[in-house]
Amino acid sequence: MSQSPEQLLAERKQRLLDTYAMKQPDRVPISITLNYMLARLGGITCQELETNPDKAQELLEKWALHFQPDQIGGVGLFVSPPSVILGDRQTKWPGFGLPPEQPFQFVEGEYMKAEEYDEFIEDPTNFTLRKFMPRAFKELEGFTDLPRFPIVLLGYAGLNFLSRLNMPSVKASLEAVEKMLQWYADNAARARANAQRMMALGFPVGIGGGPLIMAPFDFISDTLRGMRGIFLDIYRRPDKVLAAEEKARHTCADAAIQAARTSGAKYVRIPLHRGSDGFMSIEQFKTFYWPQLKGLMLDLVDAGLTPIPFYEGIWDERLEYLRELPKGKTAGQWQSSNMFKVKEILGDVMPHFGGFPVSLLQGGTPDQVRAYTKKMCESVGKGGGFIMGTNTAMDECNAELVKVWIDATKEYGVY
Amino acid sequence: MSEELIYAIADLQEENALALTRQLLASGTDPLTILNDCRAAMEIVGKRFAAGEYFIPELILAGEMLKSISAEVKPCIKQAAVAGKKGKVLIGTVKGDIHDLGKDIVVFMLDVNGFEVKDLGVDVPVQTFVDSIKSFQPDVVGLSGLLTIAYTSMKETVDAIAAAGLRDNVKIMIGGGTVDDQVRRFAGADAFGKDAMAAVALARQWTNGGM
Repeated sequence: MSQSPEQLLAERKQRLLDTYAMKQPDRVPISITLNYMLARLGGITCQELETNPDKAQELLEKWALHFQPDQIGGVGLFVSPPSVILGDRQTKWPGFGLPPEQPFQFVEGEYMKAEEYDEFIEDPTNFTLRKFMPRAFKELEGFTDLPRFPIVLLGYAGLNFLSRLNMPSVKASLEAVEKMLQWYADNAARARANAQRMMALGFPVGIGGGPLIMAPFDFISDTLRGMRGIFLDIYRRPDKVLAAEEKARHTCADAAIQAARTSGAKYVRIPLHRGSDGFMSIEQFKTFYWPQLKGLMLDLVDAGLTPIPFYEGIWDERLEYLRELPKGKTAGQWQSSNMFKVKEILGDVMPHFGGFPVSLLQGGTPDQVRAYTKKMCESVGKGGGFIMGTNTAMDECNAELVKVWIDATKEYGVY
Repeated sequence: MSEELIYAIADLQEENALALTRQLLASGTDPLTILNDCRAAMEIVGKRFAAGEYFIPELILAGEMLKSISAEVKPCIKQAAVAGKKGKVLIGTVKGDIHDLGKDIVVFMLDVNGFEVKDLGVDVPVQTFVDSIKSFQPDVVGLSGLLTIAYTSMKETVDAIAAAGLRDNVKIMIGGGTVDDQVRRFAGADAFGKDAMAAVALARQWTNGGM
């Protein structure tokens, strides 16, 4: 490698941008997200990786230079401090509810009761503040005592009602929020500095990145009703589910657009959970999942943003629906779908990212890794529009095999 | 046997099925007959799931209906009859992983297909699998996991079963998330399954059992 970091940065940026624009770059770009794999590589626990950001950044830089991918992420994506500060009941983190060396896990539960749909639909803000937040976050239990804010519409006569914010319960919760906000402020400053450092080393930052939101169905399923709850709801109260999804769609679109305008991000990430093959029938998908997700994506496209859903699980049976999306206006990150079929059906609709099985990088041989990389570059990479990446978290990957995979992509991915 | 009740359950007519159950009980039908109808209905549900007509919402709803019907019927039973089960399967989500969805579907499908299933739950320590093999003496052990960390736990579990001298007593199948043949070889399992139907097929093949 005789190229300067500046040259590498420019080349890599162009490669990624061309791919997102569905143009054929000089070769298939490769983007990796190391996450908890960094802890293993650095001989520290997952907990330390999350709570010692300087160490995490040091490791990221070290391994970025070793692997030399076109893009690398892996620090600060999911971290425990905000959840730990608020006493989050929906997540477990290394060292907080889990052993220090185990990765983050989400704990699904019922945080909105079946009979509370109307309350949510009528006033999502009030439900969020006074019901959801106290239930999901231990330190926010005081929010049950919050005033009814629209009373302030009385003007001077309404201000008195705000004095409820002086109640010790509310004050304690506000202090927890303040503490969390301080963490976010520090983190933002750190992230800006780290971005500069990564770029100085030749690694582009921010391409493909941006606010993370949920599909409307998953929004109601994941954190409010739980999968059990919502799957019963689609039989027992389908109209309520649809009405709640409409609220979720606007909330997600508005929040993502607002966040992107502030940060300058051009992309919005949408990890998808319950709409894949196997979870629900095509009929249910057409009724409860797809129209709402498509609507949300179009809202984002209209605002000049590129939605990048992470099509988790397998989508082989519903790829045709994705052809309804405007060409070149969205991108797809893939997990276990048949990538060759994805390319065949959606090659002209959107660029694709991911799909390389981590199982090969965990327990395969160098020859197997090279052979599969070649196959993917030649077929999925054909004509551009493909970013090499893994199908799921790289936590347990073997570093030597990862290096083989990256080098093979550079070899076989040349156009 | 009530054909009407069987299809009310299998077709997921929630209110109708419960009303029929109450009628049958009121008219003096043997509660065990009603439970047998439930079993027949769940078999149909299982078949429809295997055929891709039913999905997870239908399994969950059928499970809920079964629960409410059982609640009506059970107080009327003096002694529960244990159906003759054909093969034993020990199952659990491996250490470090707390995902239960895939495992629960496999348990449901094995159960409606006539297997005696012992479910160890989630985040199951290696030693618990070993101890349970000794006490439950299953024909088949199913290891489930969604996270990639589960691959390593699966391997550790299989290794521990071997170290305890029990490896030849059981067939081991793995499944969940991105598990594939690569993971099967890594973990040292006998087979992997892509879905719940694959698990049933494997268990059947290994026990000549099921129904």
